[in-house]
Order: sequence, then C-alpha cells, then structure tokens
Amino acid sequence: MISVKLKLIYTCLLFLISTSVNAVDARQLIKDAIDHFRGLTSYSEASMIIHRPDWQRSMDMKIWTQGLDRSLVRVTAPKKDMGNGSLLIDDDMWSYTPKINKVIKIPSSMAHQSWMGSDFSNNDVARADDLIEKYSHKILETRQQDGVTIYVIESVPHEDAPVVWGKEILTVRDDHVLLEHKFYDQDGILVKQLTTLEIKFIAGKNLATIERMQKVDAQGEWTEFRLHHIEFDADINKSTFTLSNLRNPRF
Amino acid sequence: MSHITSLLMSLAWRNLWRNKRRTLVILFAIVLGVWAMIFTAAFMRGMSSQILSDTINNLTGHIQIHSKQYLDDPVIDHRFSLIDDQLFESLNNVLIKQTSSRVRVPAVIVSERESTGLVMVGINPDNENGMSFLQSSIVEGRYLKDENDSGIIIGRKLAERLETRLGKRVVIMSQDKDNKIVDRGFRIVGIFDTQMEALETGYIFMGLQTSEDLLNIKNEVSEVSILLHDMNQLDELVADLQQQNPHLDVQGWAQLEPMSRVIIELYDSFHLVWHLIVFLAMGFGIVNTLLMSVFERTREFGLFQSLGLKPGFIMGQVWVESTLLLMLGLFLGNIIAWWSVLATGEGIDVSAFAQGMEMANLSNIIPFVIITKDLVLANSVVIILGMLTSIYPAWRASRLVPADAITRV
Amino acid sequence: MKTVVSCKHLNKIYRQGQIEVKALTDINLDVIAGDFICLSGPSGSGKSTLLNMIGGLDSPTSGEIIVDGQHVDKMSKSELAELRLHKIGFVFQAYNLIPVLTAKENVEMVMQMQGDSKQYRNEHSLAILKEVGLEGLENRKPAELSGGQQQRVAVARAIVDKPCLVLADEPTANLDSKNADNLLQMMREMGEQHQMTFIVSTHDPMVMERARRLIKLHDGKIIENNKQH
Ligand SMILES: Nc1ncnc2c1ncn2[C@@H]1O[C@H](COP(=O)(O)OP(=O)(O)OP(=O)(O)O)[C@@H](O)[C@H]1O
Ligand SMILES: [Mg+2]
Repeated sequence: MISVKLKLIYTCLLFLISTSVNAVDARQLIKDAIDHFRGLTSYSEASMIIHRPDWQRSMDMKIWTQGLDRSLVRVTAPKKDMGNGSLLIDDDMWSYTPKINKVIKIPSSMAHQSWMGSDFSNNDVARADDLIEKYSHKILETRQQDGVTIYVIESVPHEDAPVVWGKEILTVRDDHVLLEHKFYDQDGILVKQLTTLEIKFIAGKNLATIERMQKVDAQGEWTEFRLHHIEFDADINKSTFTLSNLRNPRF
Repeated sequence: MSHITSLLMSLAWRNLWRNKRRTLVILFAIVLGVWAMIFTAAFMRGMSSQILSDTINNLTGHIQIHSKQYLDDPVIDHRFSLIDDQLFESLNNVLIKQTSSRVRVPAVIVSERESTGLVMVGINPDNENGMSFLQSSIVEGRYLKDENDSGIIIGRKLAERLETRLGKRVVIMSQDKDNKIVDRGFRIVGIFDTQMEALETGYIFMGLQTSEDLLNIKNEVSEVSILLHDMNQLDELVADLQQQNPHLDVQGWAQLEPMSRVIIELYDSFHLVWHLIVFLAMGFGIVNTLLMSVFERTREFGLFQSLGLKPGFIMGQVWVESTLLLMLGLFLGNIIAWWSVLATGEGIDVSAFAQGMEMANLSNIIPFVIITKDLVLANSVVIILGMLTSIYPAWRASRLVPADAITRV
Repeated sequence: MKTVVSCKHLNKIYRQGQIEVKALTDINLDVIAGDFICLSGPSGSGKSTLLNMIGGLDSPTSGEIIVDGQHVDKMSKSELAELRLHKIGFVFQAYNLIPVLTAKENVEMVMQMQGDSKQYRNEHSLAILKEVGLEGLENRKPAELSGGQQQRVAVARAIVDKPCLVLADEPTANLDSKNADNLLQMMREMGEQHQMTFIVSTHDPMVMERARRLIKLHDGKIIENNKQH
C-alpha cells in the first residue's frame, strides 16, 4: 500500500507538470498535480517482490484508493499472508491479520520500520500530502528524450520538516511518469533510490508498471512493485475505508 | 584504685617496649588492618555516594512529582498542569533548593539510516543547571539556550548508532495530547557524553517550550523534579507535598530508583562484614603474640602472685598492655588512612574496569569519602573486639599456678 | 611468745602420672615471732616445697598450716594473695625482680599495691635501699645490677613493709661467700630491728651458722630441729 501511495503522488506530479509545461516553479507544478489527483479514486491489482541475496518472495495484493488520504490494501497471495490488510486514513495506519483476527494501529515508533519486510518503510506510505509544502523545490534540468520532456527536480526539506534526507532528486516525464527518485543524506551521499523499470499504457494513461526501491549500500537487496491492472474512477466511496472493512475479507 | 591503675599502666607500657621487634610487628598488623578498614570503607562509601549522586543527577533529583499514573505508564496522557495554585504554593517550601519541570515522553528518533525509540525530555535549561548531569556533560556543540531553543541535544553513543553527528538534522516523532502522531525535524546542537550508556542512548533533550509545542500542550508537564537543601528532610517533605497535592504522585529517589537504593544499602551493610574479616586476620595475630609474651613471662607472673598481687591484677596487666597496643595502632592507622585518602585527591580512576562500572551505573572516578559513622564503626570493631580477644591471653596469664610459675625457670 | 607459723601433720604428695613423689611427710613445726630459721637438707629433701606451702603458693595434700593465726590451707586464692601482700615477704634464689621496673620501683611496688602514699613510698624505699647498701643504684633496672645487688633489692622489697614473715628460698645460692655473708648479716639485722621472722632455706653451712634455729630435712621429713644461739 505504501508503494501505492507513493506511486499516486508521483503520478500526480506528472499530471501537473505536463499541464504546465512552461512553468518554471517546480513547487507549483507539484502542488497542482496533487490537487488534480485529489478527487481521483482507483482500484488496482499489483504485486510486490522482496528480493534478498539468498531469497525472494512475492506478494499479490488488491488496492483501493481515494485521493491521497485513503487507501486499503488486501494481500491475496501467498497463502500464508492471505487476508492481511492495511488501512491508511490521513496520517494514521492500521494493519489487520486474520490469523489472530486483530486490528493493530501502527504506533509512531514503528513508522520508520520496514513495511512487510520490504524496502519501503511504513512512513514512506503514510507521509502526509502537505509534506510537499515542507520542501523547497527547484527544476534542475529539463531535457527532451524520445519525444517526451524530462524534468529533474530537486526537493530540499525545510529545517523543521519531518524528513531526514538532505535532498531528494526526482526525474519525471511530462506524461506523468516518475522515472527516478533519489534520496540523499545530509552529506549529499545517495542512500536509496526508486527507479521505474517498465512503463505501459493502461487505463488510458502512461503508468510506471514496475518500480524498484533499492538501498545503495545493500546491493542485491531491493523491493519491486509491479502494477498489473488498474481502473480509475471506480465505484469507491469514503465508506470503503473503514476499520470494519479492513476486517472484512470481501475487500 | 588509682595507685593500682597507675602501676598497671606503667607496667603495661614498659612491657610493650620490652620486645620492640615483636611489638612493632603486631603494631604494624593493627595499623594495616585499621588502614584497610577505613580506606576500604572510604572507597565503598565513595562508591555508594557516587551511585547516589549519579542517581540524583540522572534526572531523578531528590523528589519527583508526577501525575498519578505516570510512573506505571510514562506517556503524554499522564501529564499535569503547572497552573495550579496549590502545587505552586507547596513548591514554595523553604526546604526546597531547586525545582525543574520536564516533559518526558517516549519518542522515536530517525536519521537517514537508522531509527530508534527513546525518551524525549523537554527541559528548562536554566532550572536544570546544578540538578542534572546534562550541562556538564556536553562534549560537542552547546547546551540549550532557553526553553524555546529549536535544537536538540543527543548522546554520543546515540549519534554513533544513528550514524549522525553534531549539526545534522534528525526527525523526532511522538504522540501529541490527542494521540496523533507528530513529527518534526530538529538540528543537533549538542552532544553529551556520560559514563552511562543507557543514558546516552536512551534520552534526547530539547527546550521545554519546544517540546510542548510539538506535543500540542501548554503549561503542562510530565514531572517536576526537586532538589533539597538537606537530604535528611526528604521523607518529611515527600509527606508534606503528597498531603498538599493529593491528586499527584510524590516520590523520593529511593522509591524512584529502587536498584540504586538496594545497591547503596548493600554497600552499607558490607562495611561491618569487611571489618570483621579484616579483624579476624588481625585478631589471630594479636592473640598469638600476646600468648607468646605471656608464656615468656611465666616466671614473672608467678613472682607477681607471690608478692600478693591477685590474679585479676595479672589479667589486667596483660589486658591493659594489649589495649594500649590497640589504641596506638588505631591512632596510627587512622592517621595513615586519613593521609592516604587525602593523597588520592579527587578519587581513583577505575576506567580500567569501566565496563563493569558502567553496568553498575557508576562513573569512572570513585572518590574516597570518610564519614564519622564509618570511622566510629571501624574503630569500635577494633577496640571492642580487640579487647575481648585479648581477654583470652590475659586469662591464661592469671591462671598460672604460682609455685609452678616460679620454679619453672 | 607468739607463734607465727604452725604446721601440723603436713603432707605433700606430687603425682606424676603413675609415680607418686612424697615431697613432705608429716611435718610438724612451730615458728615463733622474731625467729631466724634455717632450713637445710640435701637437694630434693623438700625445702622449697615447705616454704611454698607456708607462703600459700602451693597447697598441701593434707595437714594444716597456720600463719599468723590464719589457716592457709583453707584460704581462697585471693585471700592468699592478701595474706602474702600484707604478711609475707618472699626472696627466691634468682629472678626475683620485675625486669621492667627499677630497683626502687620494684621495692615500691608492694607498697603501691597496699595503697601507701607516694611520699611514704618514696621515703621508705630510699631508706631501705640505703639500709641494704644500694644507695645511688635506686634507678637501675635489675639487668644493670649484679646478682648480689639484685638479691639485696629482693630482700629490701621483702621487708620494706615489715611483714611478720619472710620466706627466703636459697637467697645466697648464686652469690660468692662474701656477698652471701653480707646478705645474711643484713637479713639478721633487719629481722632483729623490725621484729620479723625469717625462714631461710640453704645448702650453705655458713648460712646455717647464722641461724638461731636449724631445721634439717631429709626425704621430706624433719630429722633435726635445733635451737642454736
Ligand atoms: N611440681 C612438682 N612435681 C613433682 N614433683 C615435685 C614438684 N616439685 C617438687 N617435686 C619433688 O618434690 C621433692 C622435693 O622438692 P623440693 O624442690 O622441695 O626440694 P628442695 O629441698 O628444695 O631441693 P633443692 O635443694 O634442690 O632446691 C623432690 O623429690 C622433687 O622432685
Ligand atoms: Mg629448692
């Protein structure tokens, strides 16, 4: 679900940028993209692959989203994880495990821990939209490639932003596809990186269908998010995103 | 009786110096024993006073006030308001030297590479001065300027663990008064270093106001820590404060840090045991030497008896002799112990064993502390047990049969 | 005349494991005040044993001893000590003095125990030391005195508080004949002057000559009891 949220943000970014190609204010581009996405709902099916040097596991899931604030994720495979779910409402996050039939609110102390053993943290998913406001954004480079415009944006967190990175550098295409998201520490050293490995035209849009998150100092360890199917403007309303639905195996 | 006493004294004193070598050897043993007792007592007392002052310095103080449930569950929910006339008035007690209010809640600190749970402490840096270890332990950067300071202070070990350092930003997360997650970036303005690893990795410090802002509270704190002028008045004050503020929880350091209390009590009770062990070794020496000199003087004791001196007098003579020896040994032992404690100055550096010490919650420098109680104990053990012990050789001397004693040349 | 010492059917048997040694056998003896008695006999005849019995340093196996009207054989240890302190003076063969005290202090010690004042002690000890010819040597320790001088100090100490009985066990054994003669002479004079009774044991014929009465012991029995002069 984390990846979902991230993905959505990036997607929005693209939207925005594409609509105002002439704009040089990166922050405005991002903000517009988010606003544009705000009303959107989606239903998708995806899988997540966690890769380690000596093992690999894959997880299939269904994802419902409404705007950037709400999402519900249900694991469908493998068997031992089937039925596990996560619910995100605003900044709060809950998880559900059918084996013990318990809903647990993810405490703040676990916000930075790995989500389901992946290279995404709980916080990667749950970060607030208005976080965008806590960065200074700047377009570093605009270039043409294969008939699309590519923007390289540098985002530097404000002093009190709840972000540990020294800076983040995003590479996006004008057709809304995020190509790369690099996270740098405060000494300017690259720590981890999200890379788009496959782009497809589905549901009427160009979307990144395979994304990989990798830590720089842990080669051979990565997490991939693969999007198989997506529908926008699906029949989803606010009442989908409830704790009772989190327990409900229908979702 | 005084004529007998003076005769006893001069006989005992002169007999003492009859066999100088033997007397000096046993005197040396007594002095060594007394020295070992006092010096060790001073070391143990130094340890326990170190534990006590560390305990008090490690954010405990002499007394703390919390909301009723805080000690069982030290979270933001269990806070109390400082806008409280009753509390304000009761803290205006003449016995109180200093107070410091703190926000103290669990939090998470995050760097680019690591994150860990710890306790976030919001303090007023001025009030904290002289009350806790913090200011004197800053080794890099600076102390907090005021309670609005936007920086934080973290421990050296924590910085290592987070792979961060002075001047870097970290994110602190906690829960606010409505249990919503709050987080914010903070710049590290100071690094502190203490002997206690748990303290270095388990606590971060920020301005009181800054912490209240983060947690969305106002004039509310987790604890008020209190320092007294005189620790002997602690129980009295705890009772008073508790009675005046029934809605709050008032505790002395011994209740707050039961481990420290137990260790201190253990050290205290070890004094007597140690003294007895030392005395045991010393006592054998005294008895042996006295017996030896009694047997050597068998004829003399027979002579005393034939002159009409009663067995009691003979016993007294030996006894006074050993008592003189003991007192002389005590006198010198005390002086040497004092001198050696003075010579150690600040205390001894035990950093060679520092790891063990840290586990016992101790600093590296252990001061030597001599207190009257310990002196009295060591001296009493020596003089009382010494006098009791020398009754045996004295009694042996008095039991000699005069005719045998005289004829056995 | 008053009887100072009276022994009746006195027996002393030492037991050493299986062996019994009859040190004294049926001794009957009366000593009158002011007498100067010489106790003689071969080695092992019981002289020391008899003196020790009379002085209460040892207790008889049977029989009774009366000293100055008191039954010595029935007295407790501390009563005996009192008796010796006030009524009996001892002089032994050797090692009579307390080594850590000076000649004067040795003499004073008995007076001090009796509670005499410092001034009295001082005067009397000096006077008696002068009498025994030790003027100027008062502050010497025993080790700094010759054997004869030491014995004189012992005699001085034995008689300084004028006990009614002085028991001397071979006081001249370690002295040359001249010194022995002097000491004997002095003891006799003191006895006469201060009305004290002396019982002196000895092997020395010269001592025997000086005695008023000569008692000979053999194998623990009195074989001779003669008044001389
Ligand atoms: N403590 C004792 N145990 C056993 N036997 C003893 C003891 N004292 C003395 N005797 C024995 O008693 C006897 C008398 O001894 P005593 O010392 O009275 O003799 P003495 O006449 O004084 O001899 P000397 O002239 O050698 O001094 C001796 O046979 C002696 O061996
Ligand atoms: Mg003899």
